[in-house]
Amino acid sequence: MKKRSISLTVNGTVHDLEVPVHRTLLQVLREDLDQVETKYGCGTGECGACTVLVDGEKAILGCLTLAASMDGKSITTVAGLEKDGQLHPVQEAFIEEHAIQCGYCTPGMVCKSVSILAKNPKPSEEEIRHNLEGNICRCTGYVKIVQAVQRASERI
Amino acid sequence: MSDFKVIGQRVPKVDARRKVTGHQEYADDLRMPGMLYGKIVRCMEYAHAKVTKLDLSQAAKAPGVVKVLGPKDVTQKGYNSGVLDLMVPEPVGQMLGDIEDQLVFTDHVKFQGDAIAGIIATSEEAAERAAELIQVEYEPLPVYLTAEEAKKPDAVQFTPLKPGNLAFALPIQMFPDGAAYAWGDSEAGFAEADLIVEETFTLPKVKQCQMEPHTYVARYGDGGRLNCWTSTQMPKCIHNKLARLFELPMSRVHVIQTTVGGGFGCRLGMIAEPQVCAMAMAVQGKPVKVSLLREEDWLGSESRHPGKYKMKIGFKKDGTPISMDAHWISEGGGYYTHASGVQFTLGAWLAGTYKWTNFRFKGDRYYTNTTPCGAYRGYGNPQNNFAMEQLIDRALNQLGIDKVEWRKKWHKTVGDDGWCMGVTYASCGLDECLDKGAKAIGWEDKIKKYAKQTGSKRRGVGVAVMTHTSGAMPMLLEHTTCTVKINEDATAELIFSCSDLGTGAHTSLQQIGAETLGFPLEDVHVRAQDSDISGFDIGAHASRTLYVGGSAVIEACEDAKRQILERAATALEANQDDLVMENKKVFVKGSPDKSIDVATICYQGVYNWVMPDTGNWIGIPGQIQGYSSYFAKHNSPPWSACFVEVEVDTETGQVKVLDCVAASDVGKAIHPPSVEGQVEGGIQQGFGQSCMEAMIYDEKGLCLNNTFADYRMFGPSDMPKITNILVEEHDPFGPYGAKSAGEGGQVAPTGAIANAIYNALGIQFTEGPITPERILKAIKEKGLQA
Ligand code: FES
Ligand code: FES
Repeated sequence: MKKRSISLTVNGTVHDLEVPVHRTLLQVLREDLDQVETKYGCGTGECGACTVLVDGEKAILGCLTLAASMDGKSITTVAGLEKDGQLHPVQEAFIEEHAIQCGYCTPGMVCKSVSILAKNPKPSEEEIRHNLEGNICRCTGYVKIVQAVQRASERI
Repeated sequence: MSDFKVIGQRVPKVDARRKVTGHQEYADDLRMPGMLYGKIVRCMEYAHAKVTKLDLSQAAKAPGVVKVLGPKDVTQKGYNSGVLDLMVPEPVGQMLGDIEDQLVFTDHVKFQGDAIAGIIATSEEAAERAAELIQVEYEPLPVYLTAEEAKKPDAVQFTPLKPGNLAFALPIQMFPDGAAYAWGDSEAGFAEADLIVEETFTLPKVKQCQMEPHTYVARYGDGGRLNCWTSTQMPKCIHNKLARLFELPMSRVHVIQTTVGGGFGCRLGMIAEPQVCAMAMAVQGKPVKVSLLREEDWLGSESRHPGKYKMKIGFKKDGTPISMDAHWISEGGGYYTHASGVQFTLGAWLAGTYKWTNFRFKGDRYYTNTTPCGAYRGYGNPQNNFAMEQLIDRALNQLGIDKVEWRKKWHKTVGDDGWCMGVTYASCGLDECLDKGAKAIGWEDKIKKYAKQTGSKRRGVGVAVMTHTSGAMPMLLEHTTCTVKINEDATAELIFSCSDLGTGAHTSLQQIGAETLGFPLEDVHVRAQDSDISGFDIGAHASRTLYVGGSAVIEACEDAKRQILERAATALEANQDDLVMENKKVFVKGSPDKSIDVATICYQGVYNWVMPDTGNWIGIPGQIQGYSSYFAKHNSPPWSACFVEVEVDTETGQVKVLDCVAASDVGKAIHPPSVEGQVEGGIQQGFGQSCMEAMIYDEKGLCLNNTFADYRMFGPSDMPKITNILVEEHDPFGPYGAKSAGEGGQVAPTGAIANAIYNALGIQFTEGPITPERILKAIKEKGLQA
């Protein structure tokens, strides 16, 4: 099995890893680093549950990204958005708008929302909805999630 | 009752912070020393076949493999993944005829995805690679996808216990009127009718699509105990079912409910618990994790019941619904599971919504070679709504009667028999829902405006109403226990088995506990999800957790409060009736200086000694705990009206939902954002069922769309603006006046969106989902109204 040595920063901690070339970022996070906050929903890039951030602002799908291709990159998961007990404004807004039901989509949704606001801090409702396509939530009908992104946008 | 302190507040949900930071643990997040990984080997190439050869020897030798299991290596006992058999008294169970026709691993494959073997290995990858080494040969059997095929006299029998592959029909012993749920004389009703409308509707097979795939861990060890971590909706029923299946006393079975990553009925009963527990018993002492892949979850866990719904309604000129006759025939999949439940309740919702003078409903379910059908939000009600509400609108168009006015006049209400005869409605705010909803969507104007349209884009508005249930009473067992343990510092733990599927149930129950005890919310902690700790609860189904669980919480907290007051009366040398408890202090009415802290009473209950100087106890010793073993006394269903406005592009067949107003009477909204969330999520699922979602099978019974890419759902851009109106009609039986909110949100949107499309095009769609292809085809065949 072919392996590659990579250096991967996850939530500020540098990990030097030997990864098989076919191993996905999601597998490395969940299985090798035991960072289980990022979820598996489909494994085929169709649900967004595995969304994480590269360089703090670009959303990628952990299940479609080969870990080997992330050498030297810095990954932020939903757990890394909380700093010293202080939640990220998007996390706060998700709580305040009650945008969380079962919570399984939430880690991916929050990361995706952060990336939307990083690109455009004042998106229209239509832009928010359009950009959330790809992140499936079966519980909320997206109503409160969209409201949470709007609320966070007022604070960023 | 406006002086609530905690109830009705938009407090943050109990688990919101853990979920938003990723700290909430789901089953797949569990890590245990020595963990092994199980793979359920499923038959993917056939929907109906006999396994003629199963050679596991190569797989057993593969690297990392610890054990391989075939059908003969596990318990030979059958089971029923549903739970209805636990919920009814023995004689009723006999009449319903529920059977245990499932095996842990089978050699008669009855649907694509049926489990035939198991592999346990040191990693998931090793188990998967070994699965490819299994040598299996099949003898293909004829595939039956419809009831007509399955009931043919020469068809292969799914089980000798259900001749003709008829899994269930309403039993004649319970329904003597020709095995139909009936009153009056429907034929005589039709004879008197001025207008009869009649149609056969086709309802799709829809999937819950909960975001967390089914995942489990089991470990057999700890001196002969079977431990199972599962995100089931029904931990206590699973506790019982696993004990029976593996022939263990319940004290040797431990069910730990992990966070439920979406339920909607898909975890109602057992799914793969039997397989994971059988694997754990084969490798004693080691935890075994089984994580279903999404595409596997899709086939291997239950779906909604599809079927054909024949319906005939007779009306008098003035709109009197003089007769209803309906026959539901479901294609229920490869195993019995929920055959008796859904086929009855589907007709019950039909019976419970409107005042039919004469009524008759039959419900059958046949075995077919598809994923077994079980529970999905609404449990028959959404299927019923799609057909009933459309057919009523067809008649009202012919009679020239307004659709809102007719519904206001003819829906059942307070004092009428509910969905189950003999239990009458105790509250009903549906008129207010209809009035407020009609106003919010601009019903009158839009109906007029859209009556005459030209051009390629046509708009329409539609309405549908529904009533659902609050608990399973009177049909089924309806029982929840709750213990409230008061700590020595006057904080409390609420201990119960009620599940929270993400609906906000635990938050609402915490609010009810705090309100009843008069404690601040943060002083009441919720502890659930462990069969070793909490008492009985039938599980999260039938929209019951708040309505029944809430009443259990009140009863337990009142029990604790009574004990506090008794002790305060002794300490203050006062009459208990003269005492008031507020802000954790008990004082004598009118003399606020004569008081004692609740904390003092609770502390003395725990820390107490015989004082050496007096030889007496200080105050009253004994920790205060309240308890309730609560059986629901009534069933007070919620009501709602849904209004939808659509624009149909007649050139592409695309339906755009422009507006949606949902007006819901849920009684007192204990935690309003949770109620809103149920309504909003329900709309997404209801629209999906009517316009997009369906599991599609080829003629061999192989599913063509068991992925999110191929099974389309309403996404964030498809969803319209939603106006969410809560009508809080107080209910005399519900906890603090509350009724249920869980499932109902999905029901009326299914009929309302179909009626909006009907209004836009003048064409009614009897087959769901109403896809662009079906719309284009219908326009071509029937033409558009001018
Ligand atoms: S798990 Fe990566 S998109 Fe679904
Ligand atoms: S909150 Fe359950 S899937 Fe989004």
